[in-house]
Amino acid sequence: MRFKGHALAGALALTVFGALPALAVTDVKIWHMEQPPHRVQRVQELIDAFNAANPDIKVSQEPQSWGEVYAKVPAAMAAGNAPDILFAIPDFTTVIRKAGQLDSVADFVKELDAQHHFIPATVEPYSYDGGVWAVPLYNMSLNFWYHKKMFADAGIAVPTTWSEWKAAAEKLSKDGVVGVGLPANKQLYTDQTTYAVMVNNGASELFNADGTLRFDNPKTVESYAFYKDLYKFSSPDAANWTWGEAEACFASETCASILQFSVISTYDQQGGGDAADLGVAAVPHADGEKNSSTIAYSNAAIILAKDAAKRDAAKKFIAFLLEPENYGKFLNMEPGLFLPVTTDGAKSETFWSDPLVVKYKPQVEQMIANSHAGMLFGFTGGHVFPAIGPISAQNILAETLQKVVISGEDPAAAVKAGQAQMIEATK
Amino acid sequence: MASKPISSGRGGDGRIAFLLLVVPLGLLAATLIVPMVSAITISLRDIRVIGSDGPFAGLDNYARVLGDGTFWHALGISVVWVVGNAVVQTILALTAALVLNEKFPGVRVARVWIILTWIIPTVVVVIIWRWLLSPSGGMVNPLLIQLGIIDRPMGFFASGPAAMTSLILINSWRWFPFVAIMLLAGLQRIPNDIYEAAAVDGAGAIARFRAITWPLLQPTLLVLTVMGTLLSFNVFDIIWLLTAGGPAGGTETLPVLIYETAFKAYRMGDAAAMSVVASVLMIGLALVLLDRLAPKETAR
Repeated sequence: MRFKGHALAGALALTVFGALPALAVTDVKIWHMEQPPHRVQRVQELIDAFNAANPDIKVSQEPQSWGEVYAKVPAAMAAGNAPDILFAIPDFTTVIRKAGQLDSVADFVKELDAQHHFIPATVEPYSYDGGVWAVPLYNMSLNFWYHKKMFADAGIAVPTTWSEWKAAAEKLSKDGVVGVGLPANKQLYTDQTTYAVMVNNGASELFNADGTLRFDNPKTVESYAFYKDLYKFSSPDAANWTWGEAEACFASETCASILQFSVISTYDQQGGGDAADLGVAAVPHADGEKNSSTIAYSNAAIILAKDAAKRDAAKKFIAFLLEPENYGKFLNMEPGLFLPVTTDGAKSETFWSDPLVVKYKPQVEQMIANSHAGMLFGFTGGHVFPAIGPISAQNILAETLQKVVISGEDPAAAVKAGQAQMIEATK
Repeated sequence: MASKPISSGRGGDGRIAFLLLVVPLGLLAATLIVPMVSAITISLRDIRVIGSDGPFAGLDNYARVLGDGTFWHALGISVVWVVGNAVVQTILALTAALVLNEKFPGVRVARVWIILTWIIPTVVVVIIWRWLLSPSGGMVNPLLIQLGIIDRPMGFFASGPAAMTSLILINSWRWFPFVAIMLLAGLQRIPNDIYEAAAVDGAGAIARFRAITWPLLQPTLLVLTVMGTLLSFNVFDIIWLLTAGGPAGGTETLPVLIYETAFKAYRMGDAAAMSVVASVLMIGLALVLLDRLAPKETAR
């Protein structure tokens, strides 16, 4: 009799709960290009925390490669299979905007700014044509990394000018060590190192104020000629390098110095991890210039979703990431590489308390200082030139460099051809 | 009692044959003809980003592509790639097949072992060879230095010719076992008594190879040449993963150029025009090869 009663109660409960409508779950798919497993893991931890706190939303990530994403996103958009949130950089955003109808996130950015206070320079590259097209998430800047002991043993001071840089690279290149690891691949990394050399010779502007190209000028030619001189002291396989190969070269002490955003993680895991021996400085400038500059830019999140529920869910997740408590963890998916774009994020306890950030605090502070003098091709002088999208997608800066350092073309001729190629690309 | 035939009449055979053909022909139409027609249609329009529309351009895309040195450069690189692979793979495969056709202890294991490189996924092949050939930490450079062949680490992908040579060797390393197994099958079809008769007549090993092995392997070699040429020409993955067509366009074959034009330069119309031209070239080449290399009927 008692059993019968329990069975009846169970059946009743099943009937009641079974009759309740299932909780509608909004799926949000993210594509980002932070492929190293530890970064994917950190992003997943944040996603798990968000999903647990928001049972009506299910966020998932699909890491992509920078090498393929320029091709993959327009194809996915055409096939109706695009992600809801796409991580991007400024020039890539112009490509995506051209490929599909993006909705401005100006109001959302304003709302976030009121809470977290964006560093204005991180929002500017995404603000044009009357809208804001992405939400800044993290900043990056290219730095000059070096092994302090190698430099000290060779009696070399950290170079600040090009002549010092070349002399140092030459002196350090012996016994299987290359003085400076510089890439010459037709890829984004080489675009970045090339531009970092250009900005240190007053050749930061690719466009005139009216939007016409001014890549072909004596300062650019000098920059390419200098890169060629320096490339003689790079690794024999640098024509194939992306960021990972450069970091591996530095961590294995085959490279005495490299240009890289950050090496902290690989250096700590594979390079011995002696914080006192890891040097970071500004990229050296041309002898005629007074100050160093570098390439720096913010990465951002584009909301591609069209569906209102998905857009709201995507905004909720982005807002979650920018909460200082989560933001420090997010930035430290690669400690030292990703720098804050918000004022409260820069003070985030979770950012500064990460063991690697604590260990390499002087280096991280130097990186932040270097980033203040950062620029990005196509986004200089207070202008935004959306024509930079196809130029960047085709890696024309890097392709021009290959002509100079690999095919041995005259820098002036290569730069002239590069400008012609840029004009063709932007037609 | 005689067994009953599967089909008792010509009409029945015809219907079964028709039904058996409909499915593969339908699949062919869906997977080959539809994309080809689509490529031809796109090649006649000025379409930039995939999925977008563009105005009718007539033959403008063809004129631009054929008038551009980049296309001819890539075609030249493709020819080097195809010929290089054909030569290296034939030499390696024929040598391996002749060895594996002999009787020696462990020959069965060797016949299985040889196909290992062929079954390794391309991505793994790329990782293995990138690591082996890396000047910082790879095994090949120290070995060459120890043997006194080079005096400092060299970049196997540092220049166009070096990268092309490395790519051909790596691709051949991967594919020659497949060719070797095909040639081995061809060798084993040659009756042993012909060799015995030749030996009785005093023919040496080289004479037997020239008079018996080589001529009787021709049908197999013909099939492999046509297949190998078409397959090599269309190889994209290993080139893209190892060099992405670089450095400085030194390994930019036509498929790589088509991909870059479509998905990096965002010129789908031009890329489609290149694809159509490449398809016509390949069909023409296959017909010429079949005509020239097919054994001719002896005049009676």
